[in-house]
Amino acid sequence: MNEISDEPPAAFAALADALVPAAHGMPAASTVVDGNRLAFVVQARPDLADPLAAIVAMPMFDDPATRLDELAAQHPELLAALHLVVVAGYYSDPHVRTLIGYPGQIVRPVSALDYPAYLDEGLLDRVIERGPIWRDPTATGHDSA
Amino acid sequence: MNVSAEVGVSGDRPDGPADVLIIGAGASGGVVARRLAEAGIRVVCLEQGAWHDRTEYRGAELDWELTARRQWSSSPNIRALPEDYPVDDERSDVSPLMFAGVGGSMILFAGAWPRMLPSDFRVRSLDGVADDWPLTYEDLRPYYERSDRQIGVSGLGGDPAYPPGEDPPLPPLPIGAGGLRVARAHSRLGWHWWPEPNAILSAPYDGRNRCVQRGTCMQGCGEGAKASTDLTHWPRAIAHGATLITGARVSRIETNSAGLATGAHWIDGAGTEHFQRANAVVVAANGIGTPRLLLMSSSEAHPDGLANSSGLVGRRLMMHPFANVTGLFDEQLESWQGHFGCSIESFEFYETDERRGFVRGAKWGLAPTGGPVNAALPSRAGAQVWGADHHLHVRSRLGHGASWGLFGEDLPDEENRVTLSATATDSSGLAAPELQYSVSENSRRMLDFHIEKASESLTEAGAHTIEVDRLMRYSGWHLLGTARMGTDPTTSVVDEWNRAHDVPNLFVVDGSCFVTSGGVNPTSTICALALRAADRMVERRHDQPVVW
Repeated sequence: MNEISDEPPAAFAALADALVPAAHGMPAASTVVDGNRLAFVVQARPDLADPLAAIVAMPMFDDPATRLDELAAQHPELLAALHLVVVAGYYSDPHVRTLIGYPGQIVRPVSALDYPAYLDEGLLDRVIERGPIWRDPTATGHDSA
Repeated sequence: MNVSAEVGVSGDRPDGPADVLIIGAGASGGVVARRLAEAGIRVVCLEQGAWHDRTEYRGAELDWELTARRQWSSSPNIRALPEDYPVDDERSDVSPLMFAGVGGSMILFAGAWPRMLPSDFRVRSLDGVADDWPLTYEDLRPYYERSDRQIGVSGLGGDPAYPPGEDPPLPPLPIGAGGLRVARAHSRLGWHWWPEPNAILSAPYDGRNRCVQRGTCMQGCGEGAKASTDLTHWPRAIAHGATLITGARVSRIETNSAGLATGAHWIDGAGTEHFQRANAVVVAANGIGTPRLLLMSSSEAHPDGLANSSGLVGRRLMMHPFANVTGLFDEQLESWQGHFGCSIESFEFYETDERRGFVRGAKWGLAPTGGPVNAALPSRAGAQVWGADHHLHVRSRLGHGASWGLFGEDLPDEENRVTLSATATDSSGLAAPELQYSVSENSRRMLDFHIEKASESLTEAGAHTIEVDRLMRYSGWHLLGTARMGTDPTTSVVDEWNRAHDVPNLFVVDGSCFVTSGGVNPTSTICALALRAADRMVERRHDQPVVW
């Protein structure tokens, strides 16, 4: 797939929908992973272009599930590439991210002065009360405790 | 990734021989360079990778999970960049991981910073296996503490898993909702847990930024909060006169008729050969790159490779077999967020209890579980769901996981080794390393036991589902033991101060020198050992045989 069009090939759309169909309030992959999303994926990972092209160049199929089974059996590396393209295109879409409650990797600077809840709850007290658990090499065969 | 095949020079171009040539600008190379340069010693370092600007890292970008699987993969075989060398790992149970560049593998490491424990240095005496180190935990403790200050370690003092000592210089990082859940569980179980020390800043330190908890530490830290020697050591080394040459791949170390190392041949990106003269040579190229280079440096005087009269160069490779136990929880933990160095650790089952059917033990580190692409693709344990229920699968995982990573002590075996490939080469035409590595029966029993206990931990924490990857193939971060230290030249490659027995002006300062692996992430120990070796070089500089 050397050139990305606005509309992904029909074969890709059918396979993408078989993997990620519309269900449980989520949209189908083919309605999300358009030409722009595919361009994003291939721009970030140019090495995915050839496997994607190889998949869509295969003879057209009647049943996408059968094609996915064939890929799994005969070309697992192509199937892995297809999985990554579909998933990366789908979950980089802002609407999909909103639906799954994922805001992205956001910036939350550490506030080192915050008093940790584990100290407040005394969770380390029991660890400390047990005393040392390291094994003292100078006391052969015995723990330091 | 902005990969440059061009040679880059930081500092003044060397004019004449260096006092000390360092090969490799990663963790140990950076530590030694800074210490020597600050002592006024003329240092030149040759590094095959580039100096990366942290704006290159993708953690803040939409494509971070895509590029993490290729351009910023920790596997040199997957990245396959010109500065990487391929590793033939067909006969290895574990694939090695590393990074070529200034800062070395610290660029992509998680940042976990535990120390080895006192018993790790005495496994022969205590457990009757492997060998004791020629130094003790107490010998190394001052160097751990100095190194922690250089690195900027965040952690909480007083961990009863260790002997008393100086507290980390910075307060601990937050442990997150997942860490808190598991900490509560361990409190109920009466098991050890502690906030993990990390080489990640919880507050501004030494001109660097604090962590912003983006959770993408293993694709490079865009904030500069995670320590790597390109930030913590090289700027100071260069300011004190060190020269760092990047894009410089060393092909062999040369020796003279007196048995001294005279410098190293290196090749630039255009294929032009150079020779850097030096009065002493320090090899800091990791547990695979170092034996590879020593083996490539064979000569009439050293027919089996340089510094290899013991026959142990490349042997005793240890890589810490790694298992992963992930718990899935109903509660939203936002476990895509937070630092990727571990949040909490447990040494509950670290020390030997022979009733378990194996010796030694494993450290546990709790890690977050990544973003949506990671949740959607097949998991480490192989779980995948496509079709309508894919959406339920992703919703149940994204942000809902907590993962215990289990590093088991990997006992040395001379059959686990690095050799030179007869067929594979790097982009300069140099022989690639070939690995032969099998996980031992002791390690398998150990992992089985720890997997069971870690599952118990996560179940107690409330996990509704436990998934296990019993032996992760792409987990060979810790490359250790292939030029071990010892006092006997017939059974070790370097002495207790990291100097080669066979070549009195040659030093090996990376993880190759480890006698045994311990069961913890080793970078803290690598840096402490390198600092100790560098101190010794400075102290004995006037006794050091010189060439030029």
